[in-house]
Amino acid sequence: MVIDLDRCTGCEACVVACHAENNISTVGEDQAARGRAKHWIRVERYYDGEFPDVKVKFMPVLCQQCDAAPCEPVCPTFASYHTTEGLNGQVYNRCIGTRYCANACPYNVRFFNFYNPAWDKPLHLQLNPDVSIRSVGTMEKCTFCVQRIKAGEIQAEAEKREVKDGEIQPACVQSCPTRAMVFGDLNDPNSEVSRMARSNRATKLLGELGTLPKVTYLQRDSWHAGEDT
Amino acid sequence: MPAKTPEQINEDLLRPLAGVSARYLIVLACFVTVVIAGFTAFGWQVYHGIGVAGIRRPVFWGFYITNFVFWIGLSHAGTLISAILRLANATWRRPVTRCAEVITVFALSIGAMFPIIHLGRPWLFFWLVPYPSERGILPNIHSPLLWDFFAISTYLLGSGTFLLLPILPDLALVRDHATGLRKKIYTVLAIGWRGTPRQWHRLEKAMQIMAIAVIPVAVSVHSIVSWDFAMAPVPMWHSTIFAPYFVAGAIFSGIAALIIAMGLLRKFLHLEEYLLPIHFDNLGKLLLVMSLLWVYFVFAERLTTWYGNEPSEMAVFWLTQRGSYSPLFWTMVTCNFLIPFPLLAIKKLRTITGTVIASVGVVIGMWLERFLIIVPALSHKYLPYSWGTYRPTWVEITITAATFAAMAMLYMLFSKFIPIISVWELKWGQHPEPERDSVLLRKDEEATA
Amino acid sequence: MAVPDTIYGLFPGPRSAERGMNGLRDAGVPTDKIVVMASEPFEEYSFAQGERTTTMGWLAVCGGVVGGIAGFTLAWYTQTSYSLVTGGMPIVAPWPTGIVTYELTMMGAVLTTVIALLVGSRLPDWSHKLYDPEIAHGKVLVGVVDPSDEARADLENRLRRAGAEKIKATGRFAVA
Repeated sequence: MVIDLDRCTGCEACVVACHAENNISTVGEDQAARGRAKHWIRVERYYDGEFPDVKVKFMPVLCQQCDAAPCEPVCPTFASYHTTEGLNGQVYNRCIGTRYCANACPYNVRFFNFYNPAWDKPLHLQLNPDVSIRSVGTMEKCTFCVQRIKAGEIQAEAEKREVKDGEIQPACVQSCPTRAMVFGDLNDPNSEVSRMARSNRATKLLGELGTLPKVTYLQRDSWHAGEDT
Repeated sequence: MPAKTPEQINEDLLRPLAGVSARYLIVLACFVTVVIAGFTAFGWQVYHGIGVAGIRRPVFWGFYITNFVFWIGLSHAGTLISAILRLANATWRRPVTRCAEVITVFALSIGAMFPIIHLGRPWLFFWLVPYPSERGILPNIHSPLLWDFFAISTYLLGSGTFLLLPILPDLALVRDHATGLRKKIYTVLAIGWRGTPRQWHRLEKAMQIMAIAVIPVAVSVHSIVSWDFAMAPVPMWHSTIFAPYFVAGAIFSGIAALIIAMGLLRKFLHLEEYLLPIHFDNLGKLLLVMSLLWVYFVFAERLTTWYGNEPSEMAVFWLTQRGSYSPLFWTMVTCNFLIPFPLLAIKKLRTITGTVIASVGVVIGMWLERFLIIVPALSHKYLPYSWGTYRPTWVEITITAATFAAMAMLYMLFSKFIPIISVWELKWGQHPEPERDSVLLRKDEEATA
Repeated sequence: MAVPDTIYGLFPGPRSAERGMNGLRDAGVPTDKIVVMASEPFEEYSFAQGERTTTMGWLAVCGGVVGGIAGFTLAWYTQTSYSLVTGGMPIVAPWPTGIVTYELTMMGAVLTTVIALLVGSRLPDWSHKLYDPEIAHGKVLVGVVDPSDEARADLENRLRRAGAEKIKATGRFAVA
C-alpha cells in the first residue's frame, strides 16, 4: 500500500469506512476517553508552532503488515503470524489475550476488545457478513480487508484470469476522496503501487526499527524526501 | 548461647504446631477475607470482561504483570539462601533455609497465577501447554511467554522439591510426637521415613544435586521473565541489561522478604533463640550488597540511555525521572537505596529492627521498580499520538492486595503444620564432634583388615 | 514385610552410639545385619556410613540428558509440525530451541533426582518396618537384625556397656 501524504486531507473517511466494513464497534465516550477506541486506521495529527502560525502534520496510520513484524514471534498461540501472501494475519480464535503483540507493535496499531463489542439495535443490521465479530479478550487490527482480497482472488480464479491491478481495494482505499491511498501487488513491478513506492518521496514509518513495513508513505513535498516521517 | 539438647529443640520448634491463639485466628481471618476479595475481583473481571481493569491502549500491561514479575522475583529468596549457602557450607544458614524455601514456593505459586489472571480470555490459558489438540496447532515457542511457561514450571518443580525433600524428616518428627488423627495424617505424609543411613545419604545427596541444579534454573527463570520485555522493540525495554538486572533485583527483593518473614516469625513464634541477631546481620550485609548492585545496574542502564540520547528512549527516560512518574521513581530510589544504605552499612544500625525496616522499604521499592519498568515505557512508545496514561482500577488494586494477603496467609498456615525451622538440620549443626579415639580406632581397624 | 527379629539399644547421643557400633563390630556381627536409625544425619560418624550411594549424581546427569533430548524434540516438533512464519525468523529458531531444551534438561535432572531418592530410600513405605519413636526424642538406635539366640545376651551386654539407655527387642525376641 502507498499513502500519498500530499493528497491526504485528514478527512477520516477511511476511518469510518473501515469501521463499517470490518464490524468494528464503537466503545462509547467513557471508554474512548480511557483510550480503548478501536480505530484500525487512524489519522495521526501533530501540531507544530503556536497560533496563528500553527502547522499541522497528519498521516493515516494502519497496520503496516511488516515483513519482520515484532508482533508475530511474541504471540504464544500463533494468533499473529505471517501469511504466505505476505500479510500479517490475526486469527481471532487462537487469541487468548496476552496483549504481548500490542506491546511489541511500535506503531500501536493493534486494538484489544476489552469488552464484548455491542451494537445498539438496529445498527446490528448493517454488520458485514464477510467479517467475523470478535469476542472479548481478543486482539484485532487492520487486515488490509483480507475478505475483499480473498473475494477478489476467488472471483479472478472463477473467471480463469489474473487479478487486475486496482481491482481489489480495501475499504479505506475505496473511500478516500482524494485517492491518497493506493493498494496493489508489490510483487508485480508494474503495478501502480510498485511504481509509486519507487517515488523519490517514498519513506517508511519507523523504518529504522527494522520492521520492514509494507506501507510506503510519500512525503508532502520533494524537498523533504528521504526524511523520516 | 549454650547448645540446646535435641529434646529442647524439638519442644521449641514443634510448639507452634501445638495450637492456635485467638490472635492468630483473627489475623488469619483478615488475610483470608482479603484473599476472598481478590478472588471475587477476578471473578468480576472474568464475568464482565477484562475492561474492568485499568489497562488500555497503549499500556496493555499494568498491575498484573507488575505483580507477576514482582512475585517471581521475590521467589529468588530461597534459592540464594538455601542453595548458594548450602554449597558454600555456610553453617549459619541452618535455621533460615526453610523460611526461605517456603517464601520461594508460595511466591512462585502466586506469581505464576498472573499469566492466567491477566489474560483477555483466561479460561483458555491451557492453550499455552504443548499438547496435541484438535485445534490443529501447537504453541509458538518463539514467544518469551512460552519460555516463561517452561521456566516457571521447572522452577516450581525444582523449588517445590527443594522445600519438600528436607521436610520429610521433620514430618516424621511431628508424626512421632502427634496422637490420634494428626498422627495418622502425618504418618501418611511422612511416607515411611525412618532415618536409616540409607535414607539420610540419599536425602543429603539429593539436596546437593538440587542445590547445584536450582541455581541455574533460578537465574534462567528471571532472565526469561525479563525477556518478556526485552524482546519487544519498546523504548527502554529493548535493552541487553535486562536479564542480569532482573536477576539481581529478584535476589534483592527475595532477601528483603526473607528478612521480614524471619523478623515476624521471631517475634510471633518466640524463636528468639534460633533466629539470632547474627542471622539478621549476615542477611543484612547481603541485602546491602544487593542494594549496591541494584544501584549499579540502574545507573549503568540510565547512563547509557542518557548518553545515547535517542529521542524515543529519552522521552521515557525523562518521564520517569522528571515527568509524571517522577514521584514514584524517587520513592523507589529512596526505598531501595537511600533508606537501606545507612541502616545496613552502619553496624550499629544493622540490628534486627534496622534490617527489617530496610527490608520493608526494599519490598515497596522493588514493587515500584517493576511498575516503573513496565508502565512508563508502554505509555510513551514511538508514535506520540498514541501516548496514554495508565490508572489502575479497584479490580487490580484488590487483586494486588490479595496477593500480599495470600502470601501472609499461606505462610501462617504453613508454620502451623510444619516446623518453620528445619529441625534436623539445626540439630545436625549442633551435635558434638566424634571422639578422636573412635576415629583412630576405625582407621586402625581398616589398616589391619 | 513384617518387622524383623532384632535386638537394639537406644543411645543418648552419637558418641555412645559410635561405641555401640564398635562393640557390635568387635562381636563379629556382619555390617549388613547392623541396623542404625536416627533423627539426624551423623555424617561425620562412622556408624552412620552404611549404604552410601554413588549413582545418584550420575542418574541426575542422565535424567538431564533425557530431559534435554525431550526438550529439543518438543521444540523441533512444535516448530516444524506447524511451520508458520513469525517476524521473519526462521521456522526452527536456534535460540528459543536452546532455551526450551535447557529448561527441560533441568526439569529432567530434578525429576530424576526425586525419583532416585524415593526409589533408593524405598519410599513411600507405610508398611510396618522396624522403628522406635524414641528416635524422635533424640535417641540413636543401633542394633542387630536376626541375631542367633545364643549371641543375644552377649550383644545386649555390649550395647549396655557402650552406654545404651534402653535395650529393646522385636519379633521373636520381644516375648522374652
